[in-house]
Amino acid sequence: MKNKSMKKFSAALCAAATLMLAPASHAQEVVKFGLFHDFTKVYTFVADEFSQGQRDYLALLNEEGGIKGHRFEAIVRDHGNEPQRGIELYNRGREEGAIYFDFLSTPVANAIAPRALQDKVVLGTPLHGRGDAMVGEAFPYVFPMMASYWSQAARLLKYVEDTQGGLKGKKIAHVHIDTPFGREPLPILQKLAEQKSFELRTFAYPSPGNEQSAVWSDVRRYRPDFVLIWGAGNSQTVSVREAVRNGIDPAKILSVVWLTETDMKNVGESTAIGIKRVEVVQPGRDHPIIQRILDKVYKTGKGAGPEARVGNTYYNYGVADMVIATEGAKLALEKLGPPLTAEKLKAGLEMVNNLDTKGFMPPVTITPQDHQGGGQARVSQWDGKAWVPVSDWAAAYQDVVWEEARASAAKFSQGK
Amino acid sequence: MFYRQSGIYHTRYEATRRLWPIPFERWQVGVILLLVLAAPFYLSALYLQSYLLPWLIWSAATLSLTLLMGVAGQLHFGYAAVMAIGAYSAIHLVRFGLPFEFAFLGAGLIAALIGCLFGAAALRVKGLYLVMATLAMQYLVDWLIINVPAISGGAHATLQAPSARILFFSLENDLVRYYFALAWAVLLTVFLLNVKRTSFGRALVAIRDKDYAASVIGVNPFRYKLLAFFTSSFLGGMSGAVLAFCFYRAVTPEQFSFNVSTQLVAMVLVGGLGSVIGAFLGAGFVLLAPMILTNIVAMLSDFGWLNVSVNLLSHLPLMIYGALILGFLLAEPLGLAKIYDNIRNYFLVWPFKHSRR
Repeated sequence: MKNKSMKKFSAALCAAATLMLAPASHAQEVVKFGLFHDFTKVYTFVADEFSQGQRDYLALLNEEGGIKGHRFEAIVRDHGNEPQRGIELYNRGREEGAIYFDFLSTPVANAIAPRALQDKVVLGTPLHGRGDAMVGEAFPYVFPMMASYWSQAARLLKYVEDTQGGLKGKKIAHVHIDTPFGREPLPILQKLAEQKSFELRTFAYPSPGNEQSAVWSDVRRYRPDFVLIWGAGNSQTVSVREAVRNGIDPAKILSVVWLTETDMKNVGESTAIGIKRVEVVQPGRDHPIIQRILDKVYKTGKGAGPEARVGNTYYNYGVADMVIATEGAKLALEKLGPPLTAEKLKAGLEMVNNLDTKGFMPPVTITPQDHQGGGQARVSQWDGKAWVPVSDWAAAYQDVVWEEARASAAKFSQGK
Repeated sequence: MFYRQSGIYHTRYEATRRLWPIPFERWQVGVILLLVLAAPFYLSALYLQSYLLPWLIWSAATLSLTLLMGVAGQLHFGYAAVMAIGAYSAIHLVRFGLPFEFAFLGAGLIAALIGCLFGAAALRVKGLYLVMATLAMQYLVDWLIINVPAISGGAHATLQAPSARILFFSLENDLVRYYFALAWAVLLTVFLLNVKRTSFGRALVAIRDKDYAASVIGVNPFRYKLLAFFTSSFLGGMSGAVLAFCFYRAVTPEQFSFNVSTQLVAMVLVGGLGSVIGAFLGAGFVLLAPMILTNIVAMLSDFGWLNVSVNLLSHLPLMIYGALILGFLLAEPLGLAKIYDNIRNYFLVWPFKHSRR
């Protein structure tokens, strides 16, 4: 205890000394990000790792001197997937001066979106929230930034088309959790089924998806060529287990972005070798950004969580989210100058052009029209130990995706 | 002390029938009313929009449920579904072109009709079995909303509340929304305070206490049970519409899930069955305690007094919250309203120790 307080005291002394020695230009501005997640109810499967990745990347930037004399501060709280608590945190965060918000919960983000548009603060909705928020004209302050569920479904079908020599006549089963999230890709799948003349059948299992045996015996009888599994958290492991039990070849199973190393360990590492998923960020530690985090954040004991999690899929998603957001901040500071406001951050994000992360994620280009960042993703395959990419980064059937998104966004704009 | 009764002589029947015969309580009610009326002028947007406003709306919803659970004694575990019907009906009716005032009434009517349909189960079953019937309503309504895109609002299942006017005031305005919600809560409070003094309310109470006995003394259980479900669902549906238009402004099925139903039941129970002030206290406790606890715990952590992982930090408020509910219910099984009543009784006879009830 004493030792700790001594450490704190000496750290404070050092900080004070550096503050005094530092020239005035280094006086650091603080940029606040409100990273409010659901740590306790529904999104627990992703929130811990995602949040750790976000905080570690911000810590890394601060360690490296921030961006143009600006330090980043993450305000992290739990909203328990309840919209009213999310709204309270949002209002509180705004009072504390946060200019970027990320709620990592679709119901909460959807409740916040109209407010963020009205108050003109940036709402990041990577991998959650409304899919049609990619239409920048209708949602000027909402940034999905990564491939939406629609683009992910399209990417998986494109993979089938590329590897099977076409989709014509194929039987595709969409096995999904019976929630808005599970049903979300349906319009895209139906449109593509019509265009590419393949057969689509949907199978819904009730939420939360701990019991799916009835559905999977139906799927087996249908004898699909490929199966899309669309769930999250535990329902995904149940889906994989049931599929294998029903004799479906894992290589024919294609998963939404929510399937990780941990899920595969829960299923049994060698149970479903060959299963594929769509991914929007490279997992693992084999990348300069992750190495920098390990070097500068974890070696100095400033990590936001257990070091073992670094490099997990969701951890890297959290890092990627902050890579894009802070790139927007950097561009805003370079082109528009301090002080950094939410309006400038929005403009900065829309200037992100071909963001090169050396393969950490696909090149991201955000424009005032396209807030999805290009919608690129790739397919990777479980080899029993890790996820190995089996395709390149690419965007798929964006014409269909955008048509649907524009129609939906137009409805939103009229609704106002 | 405070609640002085000396000098109060009931010389007319009207005087004995007043809601608050003790002058201090009239003052109390007046001051509270003034405080909430003036709230937008002294509360910051944060506290007005994310504490007081939802508290008022949830209190209104709790009051509607109190009529059914507390006064008429019919358990309802699918009340969020009733509110969902109201919220979705109101939005669709406004989109259809109806003026908000009519859509608001229509939302209540539709919720009341569907609520009655499931309430009809109450004519045959009681207690836990009625809970099952109302649970079925919750899941059916949930399923219907999610699976019919025309209701839920398309692939994202999010429906924006359209811009609407209430008596010439646009609901786009924060102040209008606050005062509308306040007016609705006050209206419901006045209704519930008085309903127990009407023949309707007394019939409901008779049915709650024993429906056979009630029918023996000439209260038709069939009629009054249905009426209880009708009235409560009517008010609940309208509260749902207020919630959608004044607070959420975009409705999703998750906002009216089973969790919300249990929260509403908790609000009624923690507050105190059948009590009006209990509805306010219960709604305030269940709704605001998690937020306030989260902020207190986060503040302690920011000061460096609580050095734990973010995960534990987010679960701590839940643990404290659970302990608080247990503590309150152990201390006073009749809910927060009874705790208030005990305090009031203490002061009523102070400096003596025993009150005559």
